[in-house]
Parts: sequence; structure tokens; C-alpha cells
Amino acid sequence: MAKTAQEKADAKAEKLYKKTHKRKYQLSPGDILFTVLNYLVFTLFTIACIFPFYYLFINTISDNDMVLRGTINFIPRGLHIGNYTALLNVGDLSTAFLVSVTRTLLGTTLMVMASALVGYLVTKQEMWGRKFWYRFLIITMYFNAGIIPVFLNMQMLGLTNSFWVYIIPGIVAPYNIILVKTYIESIPADLEESASIDGATHMTIFRKIIWPLCKPILATIAIFGAVGHWNSFTDSLIYMQSAPNLYTLQHRLYIYLNQSSNLKSLMQSGGTVSEAAMKSVLSGKIIKYTISMVTVIPILLVYPFMQRYFEEGIMLGAVKG
Amino acid sequence: MDKSKTVKELASDKLYYFIRLAVLLSVVFLFVPALNPSRICGLINKNLSLFTSGVAYSTLTADFGRAFKKGWVENSSIQMLYVSSLVICLGIAANAASGCMSLGNMKFKKLGNIISLVGSIVELAGMGGIYMAYVQVAATSKPKRVEPMFPGSFWFVTVIFALIFVASLIQVIITAKEKAEEKFEMETKFRLFLMFLPFIALVAVFSYLPLWGWRYAFFDYKVGDTLSMDKFVGFKWFTELIKNPATVRDIINVLKNTLGMSFIGLATSWLPMAFAIFLCEMKNIKFRRFVQTFTTVPNFISWVLVYSIAFCIFSTDGFISSIFVNLGIWQEGKNFLMDGSNTWLKMWLWGTWKGVGWSAIIYISAISGIDQQLYEAATVDGAGRFQKMWNITVPCLIPTFFVLFLMAVANILSNGMDQYLVFKNATNTSSIMVLDLYVYELGIGKGSIPLTTVVSMLKSIVSVILLFGANGASKLLRGESII
Repeated sequence: MAKTAQEKADAKAEKLYKKTHKRKYQLSPGDILFTVLNYLVFTLFTIACIFPFYYLFINTISDNDMVLRGTINFIPRGLHIGNYTALLNVGDLSTAFLVSVTRTLLGTTLMVMASALVGYLVTKQEMWGRKFWYRFLIITMYFNAGIIPVFLNMQMLGLTNSFWVYIIPGIVAPYNIILVKTYIESIPADLEESASIDGATHMTIFRKIIWPLCKPILATIAIFGAVGHWNSFTDSLIYMQSAPNLYTLQHRLYIYLNQSSNLKSLMQSGGTVSEAAMKSVLSGKIIKYTISMVTVIPILLVYPFMQRYFEEGIMLGAVKG
Repeated sequence: MDKSKTVKELASDKLYYFIRLAVLLSVVFLFVPALNPSRICGLINKNLSLFTSGVAYSTLTADFGRAFKKGWVENSSIQMLYVSSLVICLGIAANAASGCMSLGNMKFKKLGNIISLVGSIVELAGMGGIYMAYVQVAATSKPKRVEPMFPGSFWFVTVIFALIFVASLIQVIITAKEKAEEKFEMETKFRLFLMFLPFIALVAVFSYLPLWGWRYAFFDYKVGDTLSMDKFVGFKWFTELIKNPATVRDIINVLKNTLGMSFIGLATSWLPMAFAIFLCEMKNIKFRRFVQTFTTVPNFISWVLVYSIAFCIFSTDGFISSIFVNLGIWQEGKNFLMDGSNTWLKMWLWGTWKGVGWSAIIYISAISGIDQQLYEAATVDGAGRFQKMWNITVPCLIPTFFVLFLMAVANILSNGMDQYLVFKNATNTSSIMVLDLYVYELGIGKGSIPLTTVVSMLKSIVSVILLFGANGASKLLRGESII
């Protein structure tokens, strides 16, 4: 049967198509190997990132005798929460928890409010000496007097061994101010203009227009600020040398991690501890694990909800101020 | 408006500049301990500022326990000192407020003048109180213990307050006949500035004022001393840095560690980019999302917690040891953390574990911004997967990489200290000691203030130079600045 010219042309086109699109439909062995390896490596790395937290957790809720024998490696057994309730009796730990929570809440709130206000003010062209003061502020990101001069400065101001050293120096955060400023500049200017034509003052515009519109960026810097406050450890170490009641939770954890194996005396110093509670937390290892867990839980709990903001944050960081 | 200004108004304006300057000065010595006029005896801490002595009575009397008990010093005279300091603080606050008001309209100015006048009277009364407290303390039965001393700055401060008083009085008289407006009003530019002012003050105090601490580099200072000119040693500590063999050895070792670890970091700074590229090669979106979520978690925990994680996995009774012991392979657990070998590599590994997932995010979003047509065109041309990765994705990411790389170069001396502090132990001290940690241990731990100030100073200067160098390089190569 003779093919028509049309059929011939079709076959030719088909052949050509198959030739050019070969790679799309046929996976070469190299490709398969690559894909498998890729998935494997990423799976392993992800496990390396999660497993330690899981391991820490199951060792704090499992039967303590088994934990001490080292038999709890993958599956928790003999579940109980005695370790956590026992920690409530450690006096200086609850103090440290309170200090950390207070500084996180207060420090973050003040920082966010200050960043919002300053970010707004530096967009106002009519401010006296705006350019100069903005540079005066931003340039501090690029130099640092050094840890000792800063320490001596705090000492001079009477801020050492004081709770306020956690809060006050962090209120003005130049980087966050840049982020807010950039964000405000992206808001259509008409909104502000029409409000000011209606006679609104700068403060009213800030409260009624800028603040609500900036909520996404403010949430982002709030999250970063809160994580920073919660994790900060060196400021407690440097400034609180003779005020152990103001140590942050991270600093306490650091001290416990460096203490020798048995922390029984610690429990006793915390006040009345029942015999049963004492027995359940005989080992320093379990105490260390449990305190670590208490310290990390807030981050792990907050993280899934806040991940979006974290990622937005790093992208905003890529935008120059 | 300027043309219609009378001589009176001009004089008033000039006088305002003077008052504002004087008020600024008094605010400064409110916070500077060296200028504290309330330090009337040696029992008062020399690091106490006027502000602290007026606000915190317990701090003021911290060293007076014995003196009160033995009757060397009357409780009432120190209370008088406290009240006087408090009054001066309030007076200075009033002056500062009136200084701000002087930027407003005539009604504001008038009110400000009166407040300023009252404030300066209160301040002078406070100075009188301090003087009386001094007289009482000076009459102590134990001058050797109490060390009564007339505060060096007393007359200087008093003169400033008196000048403010006189100037305010003149202002009140000048403006007495001026007609005031109905409402309190101020030009927008000054109103905005006054809102900004508290934050400028914070920045000045916490970022600029520490630079004043660099003067310690030129003095023979020990913790608790006061600085005086007879302790001025010029560049002694700078030469110490290159002449004292023990210090030189330390510094060389520290620099070796700092630069070594920074270079490992720089040499592997492409890793987050590779992470992002390979992650995006995976077709399963859900899995990709999963990996991305969980590899960023370690970035948000502190270094103390990272150490705690290391402890639970690698210590004597940690995960690895208990697995091997239970399997009968090892007789007893090993503590990997106490092992002092390959410290640089280990520190890099922990840094990577903590940071790589997070650093990759910026590249991941850069990849999602690449035009898909580029890939389609490459496919038609017969490019394979790796060719596309190498010839399209990588070149598109290079600008981002370049900026981050330059920033890393600028930070080559600042590895931070948290990580090295928590992982430091007896076996790895010499190879883990980086510059930041060294300065901390020498300064805070051993109290060697001048030497560490020199090191901090040099480090800051080098960092700024590196930053500008990196910025210059960026401008030269890409025509864009990074700061």
C-alpha cells in the first residue's frame, strides 16, 4: 500500500519529535542514580536535623532506669512526666525561665514599637535633619567598639547586674528599622496624603494607617527579635557576673551542662523535693536533657506557625535599605 | 518672617542655643560617673553616676553598712544626699523638657522658660543639699575610713546650673511682653525631630559612647581604678602586642584559629547554593517542603542548645556510645566532645549543621525567580539535567553568592564567640580559641582591660576597612554596592 505524501510527512515529523524529546521521556541510568542519591542525601540530612530533638525528647519522658542503661534509642518506653514536674522544684531554674520570658516579651514589644515608629519617622522628608540622623543611626551597623569598651560603658551607666541591660540597648535595631522603612516606602503614598488632607496628624496617620498596614513586616521582625532574645546567652554571661538571679535560661542550661555528673545537690537546694521526685531524677544526664528540652520547646512549638515569617524575613533581608 | 525679627527676638534665639547646649551638657553629666557631683566620700562607688545615686538608694548606700552601724556617718546626711541627687535629676529632666519646648511657638516658649527657671532653681537647691551633706560627712569621727572628699566637679556643675538659671530668667523677662498664641503649636519638622530624639539618644549612648572607652587602650588601667593622667602610657599596650613574647604567641595562635576557621567557611560557602540547587532538582514538592522545613530548625536554636544536642549524641552516655555499648562492640562509652583533634573541622560541621538549611532559603527563592523559558530553550537544544544546572541555574545564582561571599570576607575576623565558648574544653583550648573568645576571656575573665581594648580597637578598624574593601570590590566588579 502506497503511503500518501501526507502520511509520509507525518511519520517524519513524529520521528523528529521523538528524537528531540528523547530525554524527556526516557530516563538515563545516570539520571535515575542521581535522583535516588539526591533523595537519599536529603533524607539523611533531614534526619540528622530532627533526630537529636526526638532523641532528647524520648529520653526525658521514658523510664529513667532504662534511660540510664542507654536502652532508649529509638522508641520511648515507660512514659512519665516526672522529670518535668521535678524541675518545677528547682528554684533558680524557674527564676531563669521567668527572666527569659520577661525579657523576650518586653524586649520584643519595645523593639517592634520603636522600629515601627522610627521606620515611619525616617520616611518623612520634612523632618529636621532627616538624612543626617538616618545615617547617624544606620552607620552603627557597620562598626562596633568591641566587647570590652561596650562592657565598660554598661558599667559606667550602672546597667551591669541589672535586668534593663537585656532590654534597653536592644530597643533601637538599625537593621529592623531599614526593613520597616523599605516596607513603608512601598505603601502607596496616596493613603497618607488623603489622610493628612483630612487633617490627620503624623501620630494619627502612624497609628491608624501605617501601623495596621505594616503588620506583616512587624510580625517578621517580632519573631526574629523574640528568637534572638530567647536564645541570647552571652549578655547574661558578661553583664550578670554578680547577679545570678538574673541569669537567662540559656545561661542556666550552660552552667548545668558544665556541671559534673550528679546534680542531686541542686535539687536539694531548690527547696522541698519529695523522695519520689528525688529518686526519679537522680542522674545529671536526665536533668541536662530535661532542661534542654524545656529550653528548646518554645522554639519548636512556635516554629511551624512562624516559618512563613522567618522565610519572608530572609527575603526582605535581601532587599537593600 | 526673618526680616521682621527685632533685636530682642534675635537675642532670645541666640540665648536659646546657649540654654540647649547647657542643658545637653547637664544631661551628659547626669550619666557620667566621673562628673558625679554627689560623690562626697570614698564610700560611694566611683562608677556611680548622678542619675543612679538619685534613683537607686540601695546602690548609693551599698558600702555604708559598717559606717552606719558604727555611727561614722549619719544616716540622715546620706538620705539628704539621695534626696538632693533626686531633685537634681528632676530639675535636669525639667530643663530638658523646656529645651524641647523652646522649638515651639511663643506659647510653648513661655511655658518652657518658666519650667526651665523652676528646674534650675530646683537644681541649685539640690546642689546646696549636696554641699550640706558634704559638710556633715566631713565632720566624721573616722575620716580615714569614710574618706570625705569634695566632689571635683561640684563647682563646674553649679556654674552650669547657675548659667541656665540666669539665661532662663532673661528669657522670661524678654518674652514677658510677647503676645502668646491661643494654642501650643510647633513646626512639623521639629515635632518629627522631637519624636525621633529619644532614639537618637539611645543610639548615641549605646553605640557611640562605647567608642569613648577606647581611651582605656592608652592607660595603665586595672579593674576598679580611676583613669588619671599620671597613668597615661601612650602606645605601651600596642607595642606590648608585638613585643611581649607570651602575648605574641597567644595572638598568633588566635589569629591562626580565627583565619583558619574563617577560610574553611569561605571555601565552603558554595554549599548552601549547592543545597538549594539539588533540593530544587527534586520533583516531589511535598518532600521538598518537608526537607526545607526541618533543615532550617537548627538555625533557630542557640549555641548552648547545639552543645546540648552534641552532648546527648556524642558524650560518654549519649546516643552513639549507648548503641555501640549495647551491641557489645565497645566496652564502655566514648566521649567525642573531649577529643581535641580536628577541632576546626568539627566546628565547621556544627556550623554547617546549624546554618546550611537556612542559608539555602535565599538561593531557593532566587531559583524560583529564574525564567522558565531558559530551561525550555535549553531542553530543545538538547541540554541534559546537569548541563542545565551548570549553565543556567549556577550563573543565575552567582550575583547572590557574590554578595554573601563579600559579606563573609568582611566578617573574616568575627566568628562570634558563642559557638567556641560552649564547645571549649581542656583538650581543645589551643585550637578553638578565636579572636572574639580570646578578647572575652582576657578582658572579662582576667581583667586585662587595656590590652583587650587595643585588640578590640584594631579588630574594629580592620573590619571596617575590610567592609569598605569588599564594597569597593563589588562596585568595581558589578557596579553595585553591598552596603
